[in-house]
Amino acid sequence: MLSPVNISMESLNLMTLAPMLIPIIGALLILVIDLFKSGQDKSLYVMISLLVLGIDFAALLDSAGIFTQNGTVMGVFDVMLIDGLAILSQFIIVAASMLFIPLALTHKRFHEFSYPEFFALFLFMIAGFQFMVATDNLILIFVGLETASLALYTLIAMHNRDKSFEAAVKYFTMGALAAGFFSFGSMVFYALTGSVEINQIASVLSANNFADIGFVLVGVVFLLASFGFKLSMVPFHTWTPDVYEGSSAALAGYMSIVPKIAAFVVAMRLFEFLIHSGIVWLEVVLYIGVVLTMTMANIWALVQTDVKRMLAYSSISHAGFVMAAILIGTTQSNSALFLYWILFSFTNLGSFSMLWISRQKNLPAHQNSDHSYDKFAGMVKTSPVAASIMALFMLSLAGLPPFALFWGKLYMISAAITGGYTVLALIMALNSAIAGYYYLKLIVYMFMKEPLVGNDGHVYVSNATLPLKTIIGFAAIGTIFAFLTLNPLLEFVTSFVYNSGY
Amino acid sequence: MLDHILSILIFFPALAAVLGFVVHKDSMRSYGVAVATVEFALSLWLWFAFDSNVSGMQFMEQVALVPAFGINYIVGVDGISLFIIILASFFTMIGIASLTDTKDVKNMIITLLFLHMTMIGVFVALDAIVFYVFWELSLVPMLYIIGAWGGPRRIYASVKFFLYTFTGSLVMLVGMLFMAYFYYQATGQWSFAILDWYRLILPESFQLWLFVAFFFGFAIKVPMFPFHTWLPYAHGQAPTIGSVILAAILLKMGTYAFIRFSLPLFPDASVYFMYPIAVLAIIMIIYTAMVAYAQKDIKQVVAYSSVSHMGVIILGTFALNVEGITGSVFLMIAHGVVSGALFLLVGVIYDRRHTKLMSEFGGLAAVMPRYATIFGIMMMASVGMPLTINFVGEFLSLIGFYQQSHILTLLAGIAIIVGAIYMLAAYKKMFFGEVTKEENRNLPDVNKRELIALVPLVAITLWLGIYPKPLLEPINNSVEAVVQLMHEKSTTEEAKKRIPNLNILINKTSEKEAH
Repeated sequence: MLSPVNISMESLNLMTLAPMLIPIIGALLILVIDLFKSGQDKSLYVMISLLVLGIDFAALLDSAGIFTQNGTVMGVFDVMLIDGLAILSQFIIVAASMLFIPLALTHKRFHEFSYPEFFALFLFMIAGFQFMVATDNLILIFVGLETASLALYTLIAMHNRDKSFEAAVKYFTMGALAAGFFSFGSMVFYALTGSVEINQIASVLSANNFADIGFVLVGVVFLLASFGFKLSMVPFHTWTPDVYEGSSAALAGYMSIVPKIAAFVVAMRLFEFLIHSGIVWLEVVLYIGVVLTMTMANIWALVQTDVKRMLAYSSISHAGFVMAAILIGTTQSNSALFLYWILFSFTNLGSFSMLWISRQKNLPAHQNSDHSYDKFAGMVKTSPVAASIMALFMLSLAGLPPFALFWGKLYMISAAITGGYTVLALIMALNSAIAGYYYLKLIVYMFMKEPLVGNDGHVYVSNATLPLKTIIGFAAIGTIFAFLTLNPLLEFVTSFVYNSGY
Repeated sequence: MLDHILSILIFFPALAAVLGFVVHKDSMRSYGVAVATVEFALSLWLWFAFDSNVSGMQFMEQVALVPAFGINYIVGVDGISLFIIILASFFTMIGIASLTDTKDVKNMIITLLFLHMTMIGVFVALDAIVFYVFWELSLVPMLYIIGAWGGPRRIYASVKFFLYTFTGSLVMLVGMLFMAYFYYQATGQWSFAILDWYRLILPESFQLWLFVAFFFGFAIKVPMFPFHTWLPYAHGQAPTIGSVILAAILLKMGTYAFIRFSLPLFPDASVYFMYPIAVLAIIMIIYTAMVAYAQKDIKQVVAYSSVSHMGVIILGTFALNVEGITGSVFLMIAHGVVSGALFLLVGVIYDRRHTKLMSEFGGLAAVMPRYATIFGIMMMASVGMPLTINFVGEFLSLIGFYQQSHILTLLAGIAIIVGAIYMLAAYKKMFFGEVTKEENRNLPDVNKRELIALVPLVAITLWLGIYPKPLLEPINNSVEAVVQLMHEKSTTEEAKKRIPNLNILINKTSEKEAH
């Protein structure tokens, strides 16, 4: 006789689900509005999305409060996991999304923003990413990952140009492959340990002292490949520049931040216990991956003739740089990862938005890509403020003090030194030096070359509206004055990472 | 107000630069001169309020920036940095006053004011990260000055300048982070404060590696042979004002940093690397003098001679005793005054003829007598004639190094004398003989604005050449503190022997006096 199923609502701890449910409800709301009264202006949807994200942010603040009082919280049959990493990364995801969504309010009328589905999909995607980081259950990670990715493929394709379709299809095929790898890797771990929860897997594996090391490695290989795709680590990066080029500049900037942080968190949960268990092989492979990713991406970025592709390669390089944190695996390095990504999200979204405001519906004469370097020649003469802000973002990305990313680099390199990775620290420093060249190249074009004939500066701000300028101004202020917020930020991040046991 | 004078010195020009965007471009030059004059007056006030008898840091300010990671805004000034600060504000003032580029004066002055902020910041920073911030930030305005106002190959020159120094400093940053980490290991607390680091005694093996890391950053900035290749390009392509600031102040960042960081932090490593660095310095002196002799362009002659004299500064620094280091600090000032003046003088002739080739001139002494006189005095100073400012510094530097190695000092001394040949040769080519070119016959002599810039420099050159005491005393006091610290911190036998223990010397002299 089976006993009746009896679940108390308290044990479900539904609070843990709230941050993900809010964007889902928001997305449904948008669909319902469209159902009853279609043909609304995009500004309505932008504002609804913004409001929903605001509520989401408030809910996260609430969870953060609970976390600081009670520590790690589990809920919904112990599937949801609210710890410091989950909260921190959700903060980044939601905040970056709030910066991104007003970029839809452009001057030019682009195809995708006329669909309410765009905004609904966008909110679904955020929920997906939130699920992905707020659990240590491999199945839920998979569900979150796929929800988010499928929404993202569609968002790219909505841009409605040939290159966008190509990008979406390319991203989709690569993503499908990664998904296959991920499920296979998870299966191996399930077969080994009888659990799909990462902490269970960790404890079972260490209890039997990694007896089946061969199988563990097979599982790790597949998971590593899967995350290699998602984080665009060399040699799994080849889709990245094409996909970024095919998407709208704003979405490309968004893609370089939010999906990456979600993947970083999962990679951190997965790989750190494996590295700490002393599997030398994994450490070596990760080490090589990290070094290759930042170095090769840097070298490829050097030879690009299009600013957007350059920024795409530069984001790959930054991702490699940050991936080092997972290799090092100390509290300091994990805090450095979040600190870096918060600072990076400001700067990178800012620089992609600068491309976005200069986007025309048709290519200017004599140019074969949207954002070739030539287009920016002499920008300081025709549009000095825009040129200065763009230069500011470039200097920050290059790691020039006192702008935002310098502090991230500083803390990350310091973490490498503290963790005993001296050579890695040197490689990181030298990579920053290489990167200096291609960021400088854009500055040289903007400040030292003569403008194109007949350019009245309109081309640089053809797409600009007040909301776009506000977002860029926000990013610029954040980039300049980052050092003022650094101390509270660092303490906040470190305490959250430390209290989650990383 | 004196409590915050250093912060005012740093941020006043920056604020003025921001406000400068609003000033109308016709009034910009007056605005720039006014701001720079106030700044110079402030730096003179700093000197006036400075207590020469105190060897340590004065006017210190401290604000917590990132206490969780041991980064604080700490500034202070001692005898070593005091005069470089005054020199910097002096040259910014003169530079703006003598600006002749008519193209985009407004942006140029704003850039110069920003550059000025970073220069002062470097020389007063007492926290490694704050130091690094200003050190790196100074690259940006300089990049713009060379890249936007320079000669035909300006973009290549500016990018090369930027990347060279940027790469060097990143290696230095790793070294700084290591220092902070060692401090953390020793005390359990993160700190980037230089005065905290001074208390840390490191074993020699660590010192050697850290010394090399810091060396990359500093040596490229100086620039030491073989890292000097960016400098001739930068000078060659930079506008007059860019060359003046570069030679007078920016290069001093490197030599200053050697004294502020390398010597007191790594005394054993400094002794260990003393001979190799001295050899590099001597190569620098001889080699660049030879290259200078082969130049056809008068500006390149001055540029190479500038590098050559930086070699003497390095030699004096690595004498590791009070005479040598005091001499090298004094020579930094002297070199700033003299080479800055020489670049200004080259600018004067360039404005008139738009060429810097020596073959275009000849017999100028008859056409422009005042110009020839001033050039003559400055050239003599550059050669190191007694009773000029350079002589004091070179003499002390060489005396200092003589105590470490007789042969190398002799070599350096001869090299300096031989080096004088190119200067005299250049002077002869330009000023003596018949006036060969028709267009040179009617060149106007130096005008009032140029005199305002040049006469004070001549006055300083002669005044401090004859009576260097007002500078030497405060410098000497602070240098003594550094040398004593080095002696106390050194761990190897060799270093104890090479670095004099001043306490014993002072006790001995006071005993003698008692008898």
